[in-house]
Amino acid sequence: MDSQPTLPVPISYISGRYLLFSIDAVTYLRREHNICGVLIGTLPQIPQQNVFLGLPLELMPEEARVLVDRDVACIVDEAKAHDGMKSLLEEDRRQYLRELESQGLHASRILSDRKDQQREQALKKLGEKVKAKAAKAADNASASSAQKDESSSVVDIFDDGSNSASRSANMTPESKLAMAITPATSYPPLPQPTSSSRILSKPEVPLSYPLFAHLHSQGYFLSPGLRFGCQYVAYPGDPLRFHSHFLVVSAEWDQNIDLMDIINGGRLGTGVKKGFLLGGPEKTREDVDSEAERVESVRAFSIEWAGM
Amino acid sequence: MSAIRSEQPCPEPSALSKLIEAADASGNPFSATTLQTLHNLQHQHLWTSLQIHDISTALEASETPSKSPITSSPDDTTLTLISGIPPHRVYTHPDEQLYMLEQGLREDDLKPERLFVIPTAQGQAWSLRRIAAVFDAMSDVQADETAGDGNTAKAEQLVKYYERREKARKTTEWGGKRVLLAMVDKGMGGEGTVVYYVVQEGEVKPRQN
Repeated sequence: MDSQPTLPVPISYISGRYLLFSIDAVTYLRREHNICGVLIGTLPQIPQQNVFLGLPLELMPEEARVLVDRDVACIVDEAKAHDGMKSLLEEDRRQYLRELESQGLHASRILSDRKDQQREQALKKLGEKVKAKAAKAADNASASSAQKDESSSVVDIFDDGSNSASRSANMTPESKLAMAITPATSYPPLPQPTSSSRILSKPEVPLSYPLFAHLHSQGYFLSPGLRFGCQYVAYPGDPLRFHSHFLVVSAEWDQNIDLMDIINGGRLGTGVKKGFLLGGPEKTREDVDSEAERVESVRAFSIEWAGM
Repeated sequence: MSAIRSEQPCPEPSALSKLIEAADASGNPFSATTLQTLHNLQHQHLWTSLQIHDISTALEASETPSKSPITSSPDDTTLTLISGIPPHRVYTHPDEQLYMLEQGLREDDLKPERLFVIPTAQGQAWSLRRIAAVFDAMSDVQADETAGDGNTAKAEQLVKYYERREKARKTTEWGGKRVLLAMVDKGMGGEGTVVYYVVQEGEVKPRQN
């Protein structure tokens, strides 16, 4: 369960988005690095018709940057990385296809095993029902011996049932038809440690990155804040277990803040039992060379309605 | 028509207008806002021993006009704070509340405390720098706790509570420095509403309202 992917985790950069395709990487980053991201995978034909989205996981540039700064992940130019597909050796390709087929066989075997199990269970239940009925009938008609014969015939019928069940079990063809496997990642055919030429530089981040990194370093889980009308929503733990604490809005140190925005944020936050967190780095991008220095200079203020 | 209107006496200025007119000789454009907030605190919220603190901040030294042409107005160098003692506690940190509950203390058992208020007006230019300047200046103007502990029944718990709070103040586990942000409604004819928001330094978890 505690599967750890090989580090650094490759984050696929595809047309301006930072995506993760490996479920091991997704669970690992959530468990160990407080990065949740947003699942965006859906059904290709009817994208509105499923409740839960799946892989891939999209990361905010801030999240990708935090991971790269921690040396946990690297950004891979996915289009370039897949150029390697063409230069795959014929032998490697065949082996990969064989591997896929064996995986498919394994999957179909598991599926048919489960089906058999379910059928057996269902038949057992049915048999018990018939037995119970027979026993009842036997009780009702225990007086006459003629009826006893009849009850024994009922048992015969049940025996028949069990025979048919075993027969059907024999009949199930060991379907050797392998299931088609759609791999989520392309690392098995491609070498896992991507060559450094395909690794991109650190992601470009918005001006609000220092506040994001500051809160993340405090152990907060951050998710996009559109649904609460802010920049980030900060959770004190995994969002599945905790309600969020803050609606986060970042500002530059000398940026003009409309007081009405503070009132709006404070009032909205208090209305949904959250605080409104306004903060930003003391240093501007011109002052320092690295974002890390800006992150260190972050100051934040929590705002709540005073109720008076 | 005009004859009738001229005969009507001009309405008496409100108590607030008189207060502002009487004091507004300093030339500080924000003094009216400060006075209106003070008036509101005194008469609507029944605060006592109100004081006005003028704090000069280092805003001018570090704030060059080229960097922020919007925020710098001529009076950016001085900030005015109001302090006073509210009749009831305005803010209790959730963890502090839990501790008080465990000790069997109620908010009324505690000594009333001096609280600082930043008077602002709607539309006034603000920035993180200004908020930070207020918090930095506040360590100089430390709140004096007014003595007046008449409650002897819970004296033991109170001593324990104040010790615990002193510890919490150092670790800021019950919240860091805190101040009330008051905003006066100057739009829509300025109907006199003043709203108050608690501003605290750092990430302070919200109350369970």
